[in-house]
Amino acid sequence: MTQATGRPGGGRSGFVALGVGYLLLILACLWTLAASGDLSGGRNPLANLQKTVGEFASPSFLDLWFGNPRLEYRSDDGSLLRVEDRRAVEADFLGELGRASWTTFRIATLGSLLGALLALPLAVLTARNLGAPRAAAWLAKAALDAARSIHTLVFGLVLVGIVGLGPTAGILAIALHSSGTYGKLFAESIESLDMAAIDAVRSVGASPLQVFFNAVWPSVLPQFVSSHLYVWEFNIRDSTILGIVGAGGLGMLISEACALFQWGRLSTILIVVVLLVASFDALSRRIRKALL
Amino acid sequence: MKALPAVTPAAGSLETPVIELRGLRCTLGERTLLTIDSLAIRAGERVAVVGHNGAGKSTLLKLLGGFITPTQGSVRVLGQPLAQLPQAGLRQLRRDVGQVMQGLHLVPRLSALDNVLVGCLGRVGGWRSWTRFFPANEAAAARQALDAVGLGDRCATRADRLSGGERQKVAIARLLLQRPRLILADEPTAALDPAAAGEICALLANTAGTGAGVTLLSVVHSPALLPLLCERVIGLANGRIVFDLPLAAVGDDELARLYHAPALPRPLPAADATSAVQRAPALDGGA
Repeated sequence: MTQATGRPGGGRSGFVALGVGYLLLILACLWTLAASGDLSGGRNPLANLQKTVGEFASPSFLDLWFGNPRLEYRSDDGSLLRVEDRRAVEADFLGELGRASWTTFRIATLGSLLGALLALPLAVLTARNLGAPRAAAWLAKAALDAARSIHTLVFGLVLVGIVGLGPTAGILAIALHSSGTYGKLFAESIESLDMAAIDAVRSVGASPLQVFFNAVWPSVLPQFVSSHLYVWEFNIRDSTILGIVGAGGLGMLISEACALFQWGRLSTILIVVVLLVASFDALSRRIRKALL
Repeated sequence: MKALPAVTPAAGSLETPVIELRGLRCTLGERTLLTIDSLAIRAGERVAVVGHNGAGKSTLLKLLGGFITPTQGSVRVLGQPLAQLPQAGLRQLRRDVGQVMQGLHLVPRLSALDNVLVGCLGRVGGWRSWTRFFPANEAAAARQALDAVGLGDRCATRADRLSGGERQKVAIARLLLQRPRLILADEPTAALDPAAAGEICALLANTAGTGAGVTLLSVVHSPALLPLLCERVIGLANGRIVFDLPLAAVGDDELARLYHAPALPRPLPAADATSAVQRAPALDGGA
C-alpha cells in the first residue's frame, strides 16, 4: 500500500516507536507459530543434516572420473540383474544438464526482451515528467504493480495451463513478471532526465523529434541498457526454477533430483546454476560499468 | 526545407527593434517578478542587464527565449509577437536566437563536438538530425567553432567530463555554429573563476561581433565584465527598470543604488557577487 507522504513520526521518538512496533510484530509471529506447535525441526534434524551435507559434498559429476564402470545390480538371492556404467550414465546426465541450461538461458533471454518491450510504453505513461493523461497513467501503473507482485512461478503455473508444458510458458511467465520491474526502472530513468539538456536543444529551435533524438535518447539509452542487463540477470536466476512447474529448463532437473533424493545430482545442478548466474553477473556488471 | 543562415540583418531591421517590450507584467502567484512599461533594443546593440538576485534578470531572458509567457503585455523578438506565435513559429524564431544559460546547458552524454552540432539543428532536418549524421560541412564548421574557443583537442570528450569553463566555451561554440541574430546570455560566467569569466565574456563579445548587426543581451553580476560585453546598461531592481544608460554614464553610484550598497569595489568580481548576495535579504525587506 502506498501511503500519502506524511512525515512518519517526527525525529527520534517516531523512530523508537517504529522499532518497538517492529519488535512486537516479530514476537507475535514467533509466539503464534510456537503456540500452534509449528516451530519444530522435524524428527531427526541433525542426522538428516549430516546425511544431506555428506551427499551434497560429493556432487554427481565426480562420477565421470571416479564412478564405477561396472556397477552390478543384484536381486536378494544374489543373481545379477543388470550392470551399469556409472561414468556413461553421468555423462548422459551432464549432457541433459547442458541442454537444460541452454533452455533456461533462452527462456530468460527471450522473456527479458519481451518483458522490456511490454514495459516500455507503460513506463512512458507512468513517468511523471512526461505528463501522460491521468487515467492512462493510473492504469499503466496498476498493470505494472500487478505484474510485479505476482510471482514468476504463479504466472508459470497459469501459463502452462494455457499454452501447455514447455519453454513458451516459461518465456511468457518471465516476460509478464519482469515487465513490472522493467516498467519501474524505465520510468525512474525517464524521470531523472536532465531538463537542462532538453532546454539546451529546444533553445536552438529543434523540433520535438530532434529534441527526442538529441537530448532524451542519448541520456536515457545507457540507463535502459543497464536496467535491461540487470533484470536479464535476475531472470536467469528466476528461470532456473521455472521448470518445477513444467515450464522447461533446469527446474525440471531440480525437481526430479529432489523427488528422488539424489542430492549428489542436485549438488551438480546447483553448481551449474551458480556458475551460470555468476558469470552472467560478472559480464553484465562490466558492461554496465562501461556504459555509465 | 532549408532556412538560410541569418547572418545579415533583415531589411528594415533598423527601424524595427530586435527586442520590444510594452506594458509587460509577469507574476508568479502573489509575487510580481517583472514590470516593464516599455523597452526597445535595436539591431547590433550590445546591452547588459544588471541587478540583485531576484531582480527579474533571468525572468526577462526566459521571457525573451519564449520559455515563459507574460501575464500581461506584449513581447516582440526579431519583430515577431511571442504570444501569438504557434509552436512551429516559435521554433523558427529560436533558430535566430542563440542562448547561453546560467546552468551550463549542454547534453551531458554527448561529446563536445555533438553538443556544438546541436547548433545546426535549425538548418539540418530529417534523419540526419535524428541519427546525428550531420553533413560534412556542418561537422567541419563545428570543429572550427571548437578551435575558435580553444577546445579543438577536446572534440570527442563527453560534456559531463569537461570543466565548468570548458562547458561554457562549448556553449559558445554552439552559438558560433548556430549563427543567431540575437544572443541571450544569462549569467554565462556564474560558475566560473574571474580569469575564466573574463575569457568567456571576451569570446561572447567576439561571437556577437562575427556577424553584422548581431545583438547581444547579457546578464552579468560583476561590473568588471561590463566593458567587455556592452555599450548600454539596464539596471533592474525588484522587477523594475531603475536606469537605462550608456556604459560610460554608469558609475559606481548607479551600481551602488542598484544593490543598495555603498560603492562596490570594482576590480574584484568575486567579492562583488558575494556582497550582492548578502545585501539581497535586507533589500527585499526594505522594499
